[in-house]
Amino acid sequence: MGGMRQRIVVAGGSLAGHSAVTELVGLVPEAEIVWVTGEQHRTYSKPALSKEFMQARNELSELMLPDIGGDLSNLRIVRRSCASLDTANRTVTLDDGEKIAFDQLLIATGAQARMPGMLRGVGGVFPLRTLDDAVAIRESLAGRPKVLVVGGGLIGCELAASMRTLGLEVTLVERLDTLLDRPFGGAFGSYFLDLHRANGVDLVMDAMVERVSLNDGRVAAVELADGAKIETQLVVVGAGSEPCTQWLEGSGLIVADGVVCDSYLATSMPGIFAAGDVARWTNPIYDLQMRVEHWTNASAQGRAAARNLAASATGRQELRKPFADVPYFWSDQYGQKIQMVGWHQGHDRVELDRSADAPGPLARFYRDGRMIAAAGVNVPRIVMRLRRQIEEEARAQEAA
Amino acid sequence: MKIIVDRQRCDGNGVCMGIAPEVFDVDDDLYLHVAENIPEDPELRARVRQSVTSCPILALKLVED
Ligand SMILES: Cc1cc2nc3c(=O)[nH]c(=O)nc-3n(C[C@H](O)[C@H](O)[C@H](O)COP(=O)(O)OP(=O)(O)OC[C@H]3O[C@@H](n4cnc5c(N)ncnc54)[C@H](O)[C@@H]3O)c2cc1C
Ligand code: SF4
Repeated sequence: MGGMRQRIVVAGGSLAGHSAVTELVGLVPEAEIVWVTGEQHRTYSKPALSKEFMQARNELSELMLPDIGGDLSNLRIVRRSCASLDTANRTVTLDDGEKIAFDQLLIATGAQARMPGMLRGVGGVFPLRTLDDAVAIRESLAGRPKVLVVGGGLIGCELAASMRTLGLEVTLVERLDTLLDRPFGGAFGSYFLDLHRANGVDLVMDAMVERVSLNDGRVAAVELADGAKIETQLVVVGAGSEPCTQWLEGSGLIVADGVVCDSYLATSMPGIFAAGDVARWTNPIYDLQMRVEHWTNASAQGRAAARNLAASATGRQELRKPFADVPYFWSDQYGQKIQMVGWHQGHDRVELDRSADAPGPLARFYRDGRMIAAAGVNVPRIVMRLRRQIEEEARAQEAA
Repeated sequence: MKIIVDRQRCDGNGVCMGIAPEVFDVDDDLYLHVAENIPEDPELRARVRQSVTSCPILALKLVED
């Protein structure tokens, strides 16, 4: 492409895309950047959707991320979805058939809510992944419905907490006998059960929603696998998420529960990178492949992938760096600040710290004697110190 | 470089502290302390900027000097 202006396509308009574009605009001003996003809104903060926004503690305008700064003459924003990728001809085809050729591509199409079959398309049943979902749920709170939450993961528990904070009647149905089992590695077992019970959530554990009964096309009740029936006017679903990789089918790119990347966030094809919820990369801190679905990861990875992409576009090798990071996320339920750092999968020991005067429980996760993760409630300083410690120990081990 | 915190909004989740602990410190009452003087170090300043854009509540503002 001697002499021609290079074109970089960024697919996905949420946090990972936003931080990548912010970085690219400054790093490669000589290239044309095309930012393709299926969203009709400016980039907004998703964590607030289940928390502050759901509790009507903030408004739409307060959710919007800052505009991309700097000289934007080389940036074009296309509000449409990518339908397919052709790696041989290096083009992305949009949902209306338009083809966009690229030299480099950054995939940041994130994840989407999983919706159990019998709940799909039913009036009064909502997933929560996008701003439109959150607005729809908020609008249906006006009639003060009796709420049923499906799933005791992060989204389900935060929704239950927000709905209780609003004084609504809430029932939560969870398949397992613990809440937040996967994110916290089962460490806090009864803590979360007690927290939600104390705040008045009717917890139905070890239970599965089997079918819904309708009234005038809207949900009126759900029936559980054991035959029990629960009346409800609003069902909110937190049944997990899956990476948005349908549009990559047939492209030849290696996809396995996310776009598979090396530690530089480079995919299996040259000049194609990925970041955020959609990326499964090799994290040098753990020497493991992982897909992290959290806010700070999407932000930092968007930046890192942009820099590695810029290195491949410009040949400026000093920009190239592996993405080594101790994952971090928080959750907010009834004002409790719940935090987790690291990657607990594969742990062989958990150390629980619960002194009577502590503001909340604290857990440390170990594998082969090395601390790999930590979680705490209302102890942000300790948790953040442990994050540093995990990182420093990993680097020391790498160096040794 | 100066940081302005919107106290009404900051909920002490510590995202900023996770990125630039030299400058941001959330105490156990979930109150955020911000360093008065931010050293000239460009690597640190890049992380401070990242903290500002990473705050999920958008409670931080940056005033460059
Ligand atoms: C309700 C909720 C609460 C959360 N709370 C927290 C929290 O408290 N703490 C925390 O750490 N994390 C939280 N998260 C997770 C965090 O928001 C995500 O990790 C983050 O949004 C990931 O950003 P992303 O850019 O990788 O992907 P996404 O935010 O999933 O965005 C993907 C973007 O790509 C677009 N897209 C998808 N497919 C296509 C296509 N084919 N063509 C073009 N565009 C496409 C989408 O429209 C979207 O704009 C929460 C998420 C939700 C939904
Ligand atoms: S990231 Fe934002 S909300 Fe969280 S502690 Fe920092 S300023 Fe406060």
